[in-house]
This record gives sequence, C-alpha cells and structure tokens, in this order.
Amino acid sequence: MKSTIIALALTAALGTTALTPAMAQDYPTNEVKVMQGFKAGGGSDALAQLVQPFLAEELGVNFVNEYIPGATGAIAWTRLAKQTKPDGGTISITNTPMLTTNYIMNPSITYTIDEITPIANIVTDPGIAVVAADSPFNTFEDFVNAAKENPGTVTVGNSGVGGDDYFTSLQFERESGVQLQKVPFQGDGPSWTAAMGGKIDASFTNVGVSFPQIKEGNLKALAVFSEERLPDLPDVPTAKELGYDLVAGSSRGYSGPAGFPDEARQELIAAMQRVVENPEFQKIAAERAMNIDFISGEDYAAMLKKQEGQYQEIWAEIKDEVQKQ
Amino acid sequence: MESFFWVGLANVVDPINIAAIFAGALIGMFVGAMPGLSATMAIALLLPLTYSFRPETGLAMLASLYLAAMYGGSIAAILLRTPGTPAAAATVIDGHPMARKGQAGKALGLSLTASLIGGILSSIALLTVAPLLGKVVLNFGPVEIFAVAVLGITIIGTLSQGSTILGLFSGALGLLLATVGMDPTTGTPRFTFGVLDLFSGINFTVALIGLFSIPQAVRLIVEGNAKGEDRVSKIRDRMLPTGREFVQMLPNSIRSGVIGIVTGLIPGTGGDTASWFAYNEAKRFAKNKADFGTGTPAGVVAPEAANNAVVGGALIPTIALGIPGSSSTAVLLGGLMVHGILPGPTLMTDYGDVTYTLLWAVLFANVALFVVGIFFTRACVAVTKIPNRVVGPVIVVLSVIGAYAINNSMFDVGLMIAFGVLGLVFDTFRIPTPPLVIGLILGPILDMTLQQSLLIGKGNWMIFIENPISATLLAIALLSALQATPLFGGIGRLVKRSIGGGRPTTGGTE
Repeated sequence: MKSTIIALALTAALGTTALTPAMAQDYPTNEVKVMQGFKAGGGSDALAQLVQPFLAEELGVNFVNEYIPGATGAIAWTRLAKQTKPDGGTISITNTPMLTTNYIMNPSITYTIDEITPIANIVTDPGIAVVAADSPFNTFEDFVNAAKENPGTVTVGNSGVGGDDYFTSLQFERESGVQLQKVPFQGDGPSWTAAMGGKIDASFTNVGVSFPQIKEGNLKALAVFSEERLPDLPDVPTAKELGYDLVAGSSRGYSGPAGFPDEARQELIAAMQRVVENPEFQKIAAERAMNIDFISGEDYAAMLKKQEGQYQEIWAEIKDEVQKQ
Repeated sequence: MESFFWVGLANVVDPINIAAIFAGALIGMFVGAMPGLSATMAIALLLPLTYSFRPETGLAMLASLYLAAMYGGSIAAILLRTPGTPAAAATVIDGHPMARKGQAGKALGLSLTASLIGGILSSIALLTVAPLLGKVVLNFGPVEIFAVAVLGITIIGTLSQGSTILGLFSGALGLLLATVGMDPTTGTPRFTFGVLDLFSGINFTVALIGLFSIPQAVRLIVEGNAKGEDRVSKIRDRMLPTGREFVQMLPNSIRSGVIGIVTGLIPGTGGDTASWFAYNEAKRFAKNKADFGTGTPAGVVAPEAANNAVVGGALIPTIALGIPGSSSTAVLLGGLMVHGILPGPTLMTDYGDVTYTLLWAVLFANVALFVVGIFFTRACVAVTKIPNRVVGPVIVVLSVIGAYAINNSMFDVGLMIAFGVLGLVFDTFRIPTPPLVIGLILGPILDMTLQQSLLIGKGNWMIFIENPISATLLAIALLSALQATPLFGGIGRLVKRSIGGGRPTTGGTE
C-alpha cells in the first residue's frame, strides 16, 4: 500500500502532462493500473519507466505501477487472469518465456495464456552465447565440438530454471544433439560473471545485459540467437547461419485480462504503435540498450501460442530427467 | 583517471549536489528506521524522480539514501528491538539491552560514529583501490561463495552461548525454513503446499520483522510501564562517545569496516551477512566475551561499522566492472542506464566524471549522515518517553504495514504474524533467535551454490577441496567449529601452559 501510494504520488508528479486531456481520447478509464510480476527496479520496471510516460501522453490517462513480485511473475499473472475486471483499467507487463513456462513446469500454477488478452510486445533482448576472453573456444563450432567429444561436461550458465536462457539451452541440445552441463544462476548478471571469471565454460545470456563486456573485450561472443546478425555485433554469426534453427530471447510487452474491451485494446495498440515510432522514444530506448520488437494484437497472441507449444514439447521430453536430479 | 578524480570532487561540492546528498540522507534515515521499508525499495521508487536531475545529482542523492538507510535501521533496532532493515538485526542483540539500561542515546551515538568510520573506510577503498579489487570479484564463483556461507554458519556457535543444543536447533530450523520455495536447479516447488506466495521462498525481511517485533510488542504491552530501570527513557545521557571511548572503539570499527568491505565485494552477500560476521569477530577478539548480549558497546559498534562499509564494498564491482554487488546497487545501475550510461567496464573511463562524482558523493554522504543523524536521532529517542502500552500496538501496526509493503502482499502479513508467534515461542523457551536468522540468511545461498558447485564439478565433492580459496575458507570454518568443542579448549590450555604465560585479564570494554 505504502509503495503504491508513493508510486502514485510520483507518477502524478511526473506525469502532469498526462493529466491534461490534450487529445480527444476516450479511453474507458482515467487511470490504468500496470501490474508487474517483478520487483521495482528490475527489467519489467525498466520497460514501464521507458514506455509509460510516452503512452500517458498519447492516451491522456495516468499509468500507475503495482509491483507484485514472487513465483517468477506467476502471482501477478494469476491475479491478471483470475481476479482482474476486464474494464481496461488494469493491464500487466508480460515477460516471455516465463509467462508460459511458469504453468508448463508447475502444475500448481493454474493460469494459462487463454485467460489473458495479449496487447503488444514492445522489446526483445536476443539470446547470445558468451565465453571468457581467454577461453579456448574461439568459435561456436569449437564449443559445439568440445560438447560433442565429452557429452555432459561443458558447463553452460543460464539465468535460472524456467527463464529464456534455460529453454534456449534445452532447444539447442535438441537441435544439435549435444549434451551440455546446464548451471542455473539467479539472473543474467551472475551467469555471465561466472563465465567471465572462468568458473563455467560458457554462458547463454542476453545481448542487452552483456554487450558492454563484449565491447570491452572481457567476454567473447560466439553466436547470437537472432534471425539476423545484429548491427552492434556485425562479426558475431547467428546460430541460424551456422546451421541450428534456434531463435530465442527474452521479450517484454503488455497484456490485459480475458475479455478485455476491444476498443480499449485497439486504442492501446495504436498508441503504443505511435510511441515506438516516435524518434525521441527510439533514441532513449537505444541509450538504455532496449531492442524494440513491436508485435501487436493477434500477432502477439500467435507468438505466445507458438512459444507455448514449443516449450510444452520440450518440457514433456526432459521433465522426468530434470526432476530426477 | 587522475583528472576525473578531481572533476568528481569539484562536481560534488556544487551546492545543488550537497543539498541532494543531505536530502538523500534524511529520506534514507527515515526509510531505514521504518521496519519493512528498505533502501532498495526507496531507491527504486525515487529513481523516476531523479530523471529530471543531472545524472550526478540524482546518483549522489540515491547513494546518500542507500548509506543513510543502513544507519537508520539501527535506530529502531536499539530503541524498539525491531530492526528497521535486515542489516540491523545483529545490532538488536546488544543495542536494545543498552537502551534498557538507560543508555539509548549512547548506543545510538556509538552506532552513528561506527557507521561514520565504516562508511569513510569503504569510501576510501572505493576512491583508491576499486579497479584492483573489482577484478577480485571474478574469483568468487559458486564454489567459493559456498565456502563463505559455510564459514558464516559457524557463527551460530558464537550466538548460541548458554545452550549450544538450543542454538543449533534454532540454526537448523532456520536452514530448513530457507529450503521452502522452488528448487534453484530443477524448479520443483518444495514445502509450498501449492501456495503460490511460497514459490519464491519465505521472504527474509518479513520473517525478520515478525521474529523481532511481535515478541517485543507483546512484551511491552504485558509489562506495561515498569518503574525505573526498565524504561528506555533516559535521553539526557551523552550521545557521542568521548575521546577515550572513540579510541577504544577504533580497532573494532576498523576490523568490522574491513569485514564489511570484503563481504560487500562478494557477490550475493550484503549488509545482513556482514553485520553478523563483524559481530562474531568482535566477540572473538573481545576480552569480555560474557558481556556480549547484555548490552556491550562493542556489540553495537561492530555490526554498524560493517553494514555501512558494505555500501562501498558493494559499489566496487559495480563501478569497476558493471556487476551489481547487491540488490541496491543493481537498482543504482538502473539509475545510470536511465541517464544513458551503460553500466560496464567503461564506467571508470568513458563516464569517469559521473562515476567519480558518485564515489565522492559516497564519502560526503557519510558526513551528511553524521550531521543529519545527530538531529534525527535526538528526535527519535523521544519515542522512549511514550508509554509502553502505546508503543507496543504502534510496533504491531508498523510491522503489518512493513510486511505488506515489501511485496504488496497480504499473505506476507500472515507470514509475519506466524513468525511473530514463533518468536514468542522461542522467547518463552529461551531458545536464541539469532541462529534462526543466520540460517534464514545463509540457507538460500548454501542451497543455490551447493547445487551449482556440484553441477560444475559433475557431482564430485572434491571440487571444494581442490579450489584453493574454498579449501582455505572451509579449513577456517572447521577450526572455528572445533574451537567451540572441549577438544580444542583442551589443546588450547595445553599450549598456553607450555608457553607458560597467562594473559592479563584486565581490559576495557573493547
């Protein structure tokens, strides 16, 4: 309550421009509550702080953040799916792959993506494979060959069970037929730090969080898991061009509860579209190393559905093996 | 590099930045004094406010807030036996008994002075050897951190004097409670009974608020206003230590400060761990071991010097490499990104002006903390004039708000009360609470790093012995544990006798 009040006061103080109904908008509510499944100051919050000031201006409504951390976002998303009135007044930041892996991996988490209304994805941080600067692996092939020669001995860090990097490792194992020794960490930072210090052989992490270290030469990037090479890392091959059908990363966007009013959804999508096209927004996003990946409406729903299918398949295959450990 | 050093100093002395530092100190102290409101939370909430400031002004304010919250936590710990922040839990043990003896002002003055010494030490470390120490962090992987946690567990021995069995019971219970939640390597929920709110484990701060505050509130209400010695009401006693007392506390403060810096440096451990390490060492080095727990000044000085020194320690990997050393510095890093500064190895070079301003701000924040602290604390001591039957219920109200505010969760309020009942049971049967706290702090770290280490070592336990850092730490832990057994005492006596010299037994309070 206390933090909500403070957040409210701050939002009010900062978003004064949003209070003036400059545009003839008729969004159903004057205020939109944004539930976040993670702590203030984390990745979801970074998205909220980036997008919502612009969005408030576009729509002429106030955005109020509510932080409900716990169970890798599942508490907030359960509330979104089961207890939220679909009046346009409450939305949530939805992070993939946790949005779907949560309930795929844990039967006690009962919401599904069929109970939410995807609005739009805003950013995607592509996956990347990194090793220490002095690692014997100089190319992705070196890494794959070592893993092939000694199955289950090459240690690869990820950001935690159920996170994007964990599932990227699983997908890679399936795709290439090698077996890695997967080591989960509590978040991306500890994972790439361990790779940098040579505590593990490699880390599957994300570009946005490891880029400064790659640029400085503290980490070597072996491959990115994006569709095409990244402009900032032109010399790093994609896994795809090396022959592995692997595109992965962590995405963040917005969703509402099931039965979300269609006009409100369209209005939010249109406003978000205008925001991501705003050059000022693009400049700030680039400064904060946020890779815009705007996918809206039914396309976003289709993306989530496709991911759900993939993860269900992978988890069904390896579930027993993992839980036996 | 050299030029940035002075540019930073010039930036900090700008009146606007000085004002920001003072404002940060005041907010931080308030937040720290309130149970449940943490420095991390305050930084995260104030971050958007600083968007409109210049980067150095915003960061100076946030750094000052972080530091002041570390001291603020001790105010409630001493006056109300309710740690305002997890890092102040160790301060309760000797701080509150001091207050009950009518030395509330003195205890707070010691805490403030110790905080200043610890903070200044860590600022100096930051300004001089940060780039060197930053690299050390990379040597701490899961195997080494596991060994640090094992060493931490041996503190339970120190904290359970009186009854070792009850102390070990309490510590073991803490470790068991720490296993609640998702298994870090398989994602399987353990002991959650299908309750989603338990998937992330028992929130440590929630447990802490319950364990300390609720029994205290009940005690105050039951006792009512006893005449005379039980009132924490003497505020006329001198707050700041005399010159002689200052000299006496100096070795303890410096040792604890160094412990704080090192603990802050190690990823995954912060103020909550450092304060216990420092308390343990203060007791080990003290001559009046039996006085610990009854209100000895050294027991207040050690944790408070350590938890403020953690701030600088945690910032070292942050600025040298862009690796957050604690959850608070992780949020601070977010603050840098907002101003277009990508946290990473270039912080000291490309953005040297802003970074050095931040480092100088930490140093100045210590002074601001001291000045603001003197006035703020005077005001706080007035709490002791309020009748116990009023203070008790107020503590309960603050605890409920605090427990709710952490995750905006009603479940946590219930959990806090459950831990409150546990605390009452512990008090009734004279089971020491601190070992339980240690178990709760170190349990998750042990759990995570043990599983990670075994994954890295492919299931071979020898990995802990083959690694020089972990082997050394584990050997120290073994010695430390043996020290508490009769076997070791016997050997010690033999050695002492063969040397033939008894130690002088007279000594001061340090």
